[in-house]
Amino acid sequence: MLPILPTSVIGSYPKPRWLLRMYRLRELGKIPEEDFKEAVKDASVAVLREHERAGVDIPWEGEMWRSEMTEYFTAKIKGFRFYGPVRVWGNAYFNKAAAVDKLEYKEPLVLDEFLWVKENTTREIVKVPITGPYTIAEWSFNEYYPDKESFVMDLAKIINKELKTLEDNGAKFIQLDEPAMLNHPDEVPLAVEAINRAVKGIKIKVGLHVCYSNYYLLADYFDDIRVTQFALEFANRQFRDMDFVKKLSGKELGYGVVDVHNPRVESVDEIVRAIKKIFNYLDPEWVYINPDCGLKLLDRRIAYQKLVNMVQAVKIVRKELEKEGKTEVEFRTLKDI
Amino acid sequence: MVIPALIGSLPRPVGLAKKIEQYSIGRLSEEQLEEAYREYTRRAFINLKKARIKVITDGLYRWDDIFNPFIRFIDGVEVNGLFKFYENNFFYRSPVVKGDLSLKENPLPEWINIAQGIREEVYPEATLKAVLPGPVTLAYHSINEHYKTLDELAEAYKNVLAELIKELDVKIVELQEPALAAELSKATREVEEHVSKEVAKKVIEELAKIKKLWVVTYFGTPQVLPEGVILNVDLIDGEVPQDYKGEIGLGIVDARETKMERADRLRDKLRKYLARYDVVYVTPNTLLDFLPESVAWRKLKLLGKLGGE
Repeated sequence: MLPILPTSVIGSYPKPRWLLRMYRLRELGKIPEEDFKEAVKDASVAVLREHERAGVDIPWEGEMWRSEMTEYFTAKIKGFRFYGPVRVWGNAYFNKAAAVDKLEYKEPLVLDEFLWVKENTTREIVKVPITGPYTIAEWSFNEYYPDKESFVMDLAKIINKELKTLEDNGAKFIQLDEPAMLNHPDEVPLAVEAINRAVKGIKIKVGLHVCYSNYYLLADYFDDIRVTQFALEFANRQFRDMDFVKKLSGKELGYGVVDVHNPRVESVDEIVRAIKKIFNYLDPEWVYINPDCGLKLLDRRIAYQKLVNMVQAVKIVRKELEKEGKTEVEFRTLKDI
Repeated sequence: MVIPALIGSLPRPVGLAKKIEQYSIGRLSEEQLEEAYREYTRRAFINLKKARIKVITDGLYRWDDIFNPFIRFIDGVEVNGLFKFYENNFFYRSPVVKGDLSLKENPLPEWINIAQGIREEVYPEATLKAVLPGPVTLAYHSINEHYKTLDELAEAYKNVLAELIKELDVKIVELQEPALAAELSKATREVEEHVSKEVAKKVIEELAKIKKLWVVTYFGTPQVLPEGVILNVDLIDGEVPQDYKGEIGLGIVDARETKMERADRLRDKLRKYLARYDVVYVTPNTLLDFLPESVAWRKLKLLGKLGGE
C-alpha cells in the first residue's frame, strides 16, 4: 500500500554543475572512466537524497547516469551512429543518432543505474524511467530500415529485453517515456503496438509518460495500451482542456502539477487548487502526483523547491481526504488490469 | 537556371550556444556576446560562399525558434508554454495573445544591418534575406485570448509585420509560413482552428506590396498560393501545386534526414521543373536546425553543386 496521492517524479533532474564538468571532461577524454563513473554514482545519491528530503514517495535519481533521454539509449544499442548535436530549443541540444545497421541489444541499458539506486534508497519503490521504442525511433535518423514499422518494432524488442532484465532484478515500477508517440496521428497505432510489445510478459507496474501533445488523441487509446498509469503534463497547459481524462477508466493518472519549463515556483496553495481540479474527473484513489515532466532544465534550487511545494500541497489535500477515510491506495501492477 | 538558396535557420553552433549560456548566467558581457554572434555569422557566410549558396539568411543564430525573440517585441503578446514545432523534437515558446497587437521598439533592423555589413565584407555577391515568421503561421501557433477569430489575429500580425518590414534593409524578406502547408492541430493542439484561405492569401499579398517576399512552406503541399511572391515548396513532404504559375523555390534536399541525397538524382528530379520555370531556386525542404551541423553543411554543399544549370 501507498499513501493516497502517491508523489513521484517523471525522471530527469538538474545535474550538479560539477557533474556537468565531469561529463565535459569525459567528452574531451581528460578523465579516467572510473573517475567519471564514481562522480555519476555520487551525484546519483545526492539527487536521490534530494528527492527523499523533499518527501517524494517514489523517487528516482534524476538520470544522472544519462547524458540525455534518447542519446544515452542509442549509444548503448548496436547499429546507431552519431553525427553531432541537434537543437531541441534555445540552447538545449542532444546527440541525435542515426540507425545505420540492424539494431541489436548488446548490453543492459539502465540496469546498473537501477541497482545502484536500489542499493542506496530508503524507499521501497522507485520509478525507473526508460525511453520508449517509438520515441527513440522518432528522435533518431533512419538510414537503414526500409520503413518506420520495422525500425520501431526492433526497438520495442530491445526495450522488452531491458524491462525483463529490470523485473528479474527487482524493479517494481517502470515508466516508459513516449513524448513523441502522438507526433504523427496516423502512426499512433504503431506506437501503441510498440509499447505493448515492449511490455510483453512484464507483470510489474508500468507507467507511460507523454507530454506536450494532444491528449485527446491519446485518450482514444487509453484502453488499448497495456500500462497501469498515464503520467501526463497539465501545468504547462494551465490545466486547460482536461476533458479527455474522462476516458480514463481502470488505470491511474500521474497528474503533472508543476511546470518544468517555467522557473516560477508554484505556491503550495496553487498546487492544492490544481490537485483538487482533477477530482472533478477522477477519484483520488486513481491519482498520482508528479511534476509535468523531467525537471532537468531548471536551476537545481528551483527544481528542488518545486518538489517541496508539490509534496506540501499533497500533504494538505491528504488531510482533507483523511476525513473521508481515504488514506491509502493499493500498488497496482499489470497483473491488476 | 538553378539558384541554390538557404531558407530559415542554420543549426546554431554549439560553441555559440555556450556563449549565450555564459551570458545568461552573467559570465559574459553583452559586448562579448555580440562579438560572438558576429564571428559565428562571419564564419557562416564564408562557408555559404564556399558551398556556392547564392541567396542566404543570417542563419537565425540570434533566434531560439522562428517566433522568438520577435514575439517579445510585440505589445499584446505574452510568451508562455512550450509546444512541439509540428512533429519534430523541436519546441517553441508560444505567443499568448492578450490584447491589441502593436510593434515595440526592437533590434531586428539593427541585426540585419550587422549581417549586411558582414556579407559586404566576406560574400558581397550574395543576396541576404531577412527572415520573419509569417502572419498566418504566427496566428496559427498563437494561443488567442483576445481577437474574435484567427482571421482577425492574422490581420493584426500582418499590421505588425508591415511596420517592421519597412525598416529592414534588405531587398527580400523571407516569411516562414509552414502553416500554409502543414497540419498542426491534430498532433499538438486540442483546438482546431484555422486562418481562412482567403485571409491567408490576402495578408501575405498585402505584405508583398511592401517588399519582395519569399514565402517558405513545408511539411506538406501549400494550400494557399499567394501571388507576386517566391513560393518555396517542400518536395520531400509535399509537391508543387499544379496550378502554381509564379516564382518558385524547391525544397529538394531533406533537412530532416542525415542520409545524403545523390546529386544526379536531384538533377533528374529538377528537370521537369526547369521545363516549367525559367528560374528555380533550390533549397533545403525545411529549417536546417533539425540536422547536426556537419550534416547540414554537407547538404548545403550538395545543394550548391546543383547551381547554374
